[in-house]
Amino acid sequence: MEEATLSFKARAERALADPTLKIAIDRTTGTAERKRAVAMSQFPQFEAARERGKRIKDHVIANLDHYLLEFERNAIASGAKVYWAATAEEASQIVVRLCKEAGAKRVTRVKSMLGEEIGLPHALDEAGIERVETDLAEHIVQLGGDRPSHIVWPSMHRTREQVSEMFKRLHRAPHQEETIEAMVDSARRELRDKFLSADVAISGANFLLADTGATCTVTNEGNAELTTTPPRVHIVTAGIEKLVPSMGHAIAMLRLLVRSATGADVTQYTTFHCGPKQAGDRDGPEEFHIVLVDNGRSRMLREGMKEMLRCIRCGACMNHCVVFRQLGGHVYGGTYPGPMGAVLTPVFDGLEKSRDLPHACTMNGKCQEVCPVAIPLPTLLRGWRDRSWREGLEPAVVRFGLGIHTFVASHPRLYRLGTAIAVRVMRLFSRGGLVRGMPGLGAWTAYREFPAPAKRTFMEMVKDQENTR
Amino acid sequence: MSAREAILNAVRGGLGHRTVDPAARRREADALLEDLPAIRPGLLADDLVEAFIARLVTPKVAATAERIADARELPAAVARYLEARGLPAAIALQPAAVLQALDWSGFELHERVAPDETLAVGCARWGIAETGSLVFHSDAETPILANFLPLHHLVMVRASTVLAYLDDYAKATAGQRPPRNVNIITGASGTTDIEGSLVLGAHGPRYLHVVVVEDLPAA
Repeated sequence: MEEATLSFKARAERALADPTLKIAIDRTTGTAERKRAVAMSQFPQFEAARERGKRIKDHVIANLDHYLLEFERNAIASGAKVYWAATAEEASQIVVRLCKEAGAKRVTRVKSMLGEEIGLPHALDEAGIERVETDLAEHIVQLGGDRPSHIVWPSMHRTREQVSEMFKRLHRAPHQEETIEAMVDSARRELRDKFLSADVAISGANFLLADTGATCTVTNEGNAELTTTPPRVHIVTAGIEKLVPSMGHAIAMLRLLVRSATGADVTQYTTFHCGPKQAGDRDGPEEFHIVLVDNGRSRMLREGMKEMLRCIRCGACMNHCVVFRQLGGHVYGGTYPGPMGAVLTPVFDGLEKSRDLPHACTMNGKCQEVCPVAIPLPTLLRGWRDRSWREGLEPAVVRFGLGIHTFVASHPRLYRLGTAIAVRVMRLFSRGGLVRGMPGLGAWTAYREFPAPAKRTFMEMVKDQENTR
Repeated sequence: MSAREAILNAVRGGLGHRTVDPAARRREADALLEDLPAIRPGLLADDLVEAFIARLVTPKVAATAERIADARELPAAVARYLEARGLPAAIALQPAAVLQALDWSGFELHERVAPDETLAVGCARWGIAETGSLVFHSDAETPILANFLPLHHLVMVRASTVLAYLDDYAKATAGQRPPRNVNIITGASGTTDIEGSLVLGAHGPRYLHVVVVEDLPAA
């Protein structure tokens, strides 16, 4: 059955039953968590830097209209063309139209989550334009015919064994040796001539610099520059929240972004793109187009979610999320997985379709703790839960159960009687101090046990103490 | 209504009624870049060039580096590099006057970097001690692809152009017309896309060697 048509619960069950997936997730998130911890131990200024990063983004958001116009003015002055798209469809239509106007047969793409968000891969495929993903992980995703499962490591759901098998089947001159180095080499050979023969390059942007109209990409592979330099046309798609006032502000944000994402101090390649090829330049595109995309962002401002617009897409929240680390990214069903995805997906897809996501959270607060711009993710998730309840989207069985709980909890005698019975019944099912199975609790105990309750309720014990005094 | 107007109206609607004084906004933006030492890491050494080199050779950046007294020694440094690795003396030389003025006898030079180029020699405008980064601007002397196609990238940078922090680069160029591309390059190309383990030479160079020159030859 197609994954997209399954319910969240069914997708989660499928993921939990896949032992290879769990190995793949653990290998990447484990490494990411360790590397970030090391980077932070060498960056005692993190707390101050994160407070500043938060203020930089808040300042931009509070003046977003101004910075958008300043950026537009400077980008046009640099020779770029600027387009505005209110929706995902508008954005991908603009890009496809620009590709067609350029007579593009082959398009190379630099990984961009916004590109995924606006459905660009699909739109290009539909338009019959050959799409070459140049980021190694996106290349793996493209070969596998599936979707990215992480915003920094889109193919983290694949083990090296699976990647090896795909490369051997689909590359023109695949690796012989079973090492990751040899596999990376195989991809290098496979993509080399494609970089140089594309008609149009499409990238995203990590930052938009208002004072110069430049866009910034960060990569470790160098694929962004190899992608955007040779073709005649370079198209950038970027969310309107990506603005910063100047390069100095971008640098302050970069220090937070890279350490939080990969544990490096800075990405290997940080490039600022400003307009098309200039007089005398040895290389570069003749045309430079920038598509500014809203797609729900202005609505987030209106609907009390402006803190989420601070997000710089580092992925730390998902690397540290206990739920993500069990399920992986595909289960979330949207472009963005993990805690930030659970906040964003209801904005893009509607709460009705994605009401399960805000519930897929233990509220342990780890995501907020590691977030480099201190987004109160648990609070935002709770906001969606509230709204889902208010809008009557919660299923009848949940409403009924909570209704009973409310009634009992507001009648102390009934509550005490109920809990007194419950602890005694639960103890009947305890084995060695743990409850591993009990009628009606199968869904819980299938994956975890819980400690047997005390012999008597707290209230009973308090009462005893009062009597003996 | 155009998408542009619709978006701007929606943003303004979301922000609510407010009057923003442009001077106050500018002051606020500037204030966000005050007291930078509080929000950036320290350097690995007091001397900028020492700090730059120390950062370059950390396992995270994984480049190699050496110092020479005079740019005229660069061809000999390149020859040593090639010899140590058993590479042929055929190199792509960045079309920069400062490099072309040197004596490259004994080398087979070409300007155009081939897709499978083994080694390219270039020069960076700045070094950054904070991160061990090199900064390039695209121009008539600097093809951007030359930084990305070769397997080995040898880069000369003058000691006097090594800046302490990335912020110092931003300050040094503030108010100037930006080039099409600013490349801030830190180490060789790498990827962690297969199971999170770092492999060098993903698409760009696998090896980065930096030669810090104390001085330019007297004109």
